[in-house]
Amino acid sequence: MLPTINLAELQSSLIAFAPELLLAGGIVVLLLLRMVPSLERLHLGYLALFVVVAALVASWIEWVNGEYDTRPAFAGMVTADALTVYMRLLLLGFTGLVIILTLLTGLPEREESCDFQVMLLGATLGMLLMCSATHLLMVYIAVEMASLPSYALAGFLKLRRQSSEAALKYVVYGGAASGVMLYGISLLAGRFGTGYLPEVAAGFAVAMQRGPVDAALLVGLLMILVGLAFKLSAVPFHFWCPDVFEGAAAEVGAFLSVASKGAAVALTGRFTLAMVGGLPNEWATPETWQGVAIYLGPALAFLAAITATFGNLAAYAQTNLKRLLAYSTIAHAGYMLMPLATLTREGLDAALFYLIAYLFMNLGAFAVVAILRDQTGTEDLSGYGGMIQRAPVLTVTMAVFLLSLVGLPPLMGYMVKFQIFAALWKSYQDFNNTGLVVLLVIGLLNTVISLFYYVRVLKVMIIDPVPEGTAGLVRIPSGQIIFVTLLAVVVTVGIVAWDPLALQGSGRAVSQFRPIKPAGAPSASAPAAAVSAR
Amino acid sequence: MTSVGLQECLLVGAVLFVAGILCMVTKRNAIGILMGSELVLNGANVNFVAFAYFHDLFNIEGQIFALFTIVMAAAEAAIALAIVLNFYNNHVTVDVDAAEDLKG
Repeated sequence: MLPTINLAELQSSLIAFAPELLLAGGIVVLLLLRMVPSLERLHLGYLALFVVVAALVASWIEWVNGEYDTRPAFAGMVTADALTVYMRLLLLGFTGLVIILTLLTGLPEREESCDFQVMLLGATLGMLLMCSATHLLMVYIAVEMASLPSYALAGFLKLRRQSSEAALKYVVYGGAASGVMLYGISLLAGRFGTGYLPEVAAGFAVAMQRGPVDAALLVGLLMILVGLAFKLSAVPFHFWCPDVFEGAAAEVGAFLSVASKGAAVALTGRFTLAMVGGLPNEWATPETWQGVAIYLGPALAFLAAITATFGNLAAYAQTNLKRLLAYSTIAHAGYMLMPLATLTREGLDAALFYLIAYLFMNLGAFAVVAILRDQTGTEDLSGYGGMIQRAPVLTVTMAVFLLSLVGLPPLMGYMVKFQIFAALWKSYQDFNNTGLVVLLVIGLLNTVISLFYYVRVLKVMIIDPVPEGTAGLVRIPSGQIIFVTLLAVVVTVGIVAWDPLALQGSGRAVSQFRPIKPAGAPSASAPAAAVSAR
Repeated sequence: MTSVGLQECLLVGAVLFVAGILCMVTKRNAIGILMGSELVLNGANVNFVAFAYFHDLFNIEGQIFALFTIVMAAAEAAIALAIVLNFYNNHVTVDVDAAEDLKG
């Protein structure tokens, strides 16, 4: 049963979710502005950017104040803890950068800018809710809210055959995955009489401890993990990812590869940590949670290992640059799953920290592809021969982004990858779990494999001759040059702010995270009641 | 005459779910696949309503679950049909086997 809510709590909930409300209001305004004929000539991208910046400022104020209402908001549907606020900063900042990129490359024509921006903001709103959901109903709604606009964005280039095919594949696979996830949710929520995540987790842990193992519960959990794995594009639920990225515009690919993955990582982290009770807490013994952890940990580790390995191996054979980046995205989802497999706070910490660098370097790589597509008309690697002579600045920035994606020092990619491997090693020392060392070695080997295909792109761009019949110097508007150069500078010097021993941003986000029990709420299900009696 | 219990209702939900999955896997027509995904969602919905009926504490919450699922299913169908229509405009068929430009 849901905890009841009174008016004062409603007010504090509304204030805590001001950024989301701003975004929702912005979407409504954007839609209404379309009705006014005299505003038809206005490019709505700037308005969308303004809305995102306003929401970003609101979350920044919350972050700086550093006081979070960790009680569940809206009767336990969502929570605005530090993890939520941290992800808000990342996602809103990233969406702002994507809107700037679309303004620079002019992807949506002026007449279509309203549709495009509304869907972009709508997807962002869904992703923000994914990061704060603490109720299974909210998990489902947020995943759908993030997915539905993404389907439409993938097919936004309406007249392109490939784009329509990408959207169709995305919607079919996505519909199947979300349906399976909902069925899993129905099994868990119905069994425990509530969808409130901490109570479901407690009921699950006690049921597992009591034995015999209830197949319906395990199937339910597995089905929810399928839905999450689809959002993460983890192998074997990755089919959609390369097709969608190749068919959709590069700007949309950038948005999906970072924002969608980031929200999925945060949701997976919150969900899995809740399922193992975070860390020992007041209403269940560590042994109780252990029964879930021995299944969940290896499952996540296995998923992470095959995702990273498959992504890196498959990327090697690609000739289309967007497709190559799609497999690179899959591989990076694997890296981000690795620390989550430790099922510790340090692990979630490292995964969230990874997103900071991933945001800049992946956006940069996709931006370069988008700019070169506009100027040369091709996204095929063979068309990019000798690019160093035709577009020197872009080639150098692309080198920075790709080497950072490999994880070479002193670029940002190195610091985040180091943090992930450090989290795995620390967890190994704490729990003496040999599987984590195996995972660490797999991660290191993957980094070596990934070097080959990233460097192959650079070899084509720098060493290979210019293909015959192409024009000389590529003319690139200065705004686009400045945009990618700034991103490259951030990727290069970002490491200065890094203190390997003390994670500041994500560490603070995770330290406040605990799957808490709502005050005064009776434990709904019989197993959960047994827990609180202990 | 025996009354219908939770088990029977869950069985109906499970049958709908499996029928939906089979439909999605075997149909080559995009519309047919979408109908399969609707069946899956409704299978889950039957579960929610059944649990809500037989489980006092889940009474309100289960029905809310079902209501929201109906809304989301409608939204998903709207988007999906628009995408299928666009696919038709580009390919002059809704056979998913025609979707073969992107591979590798």
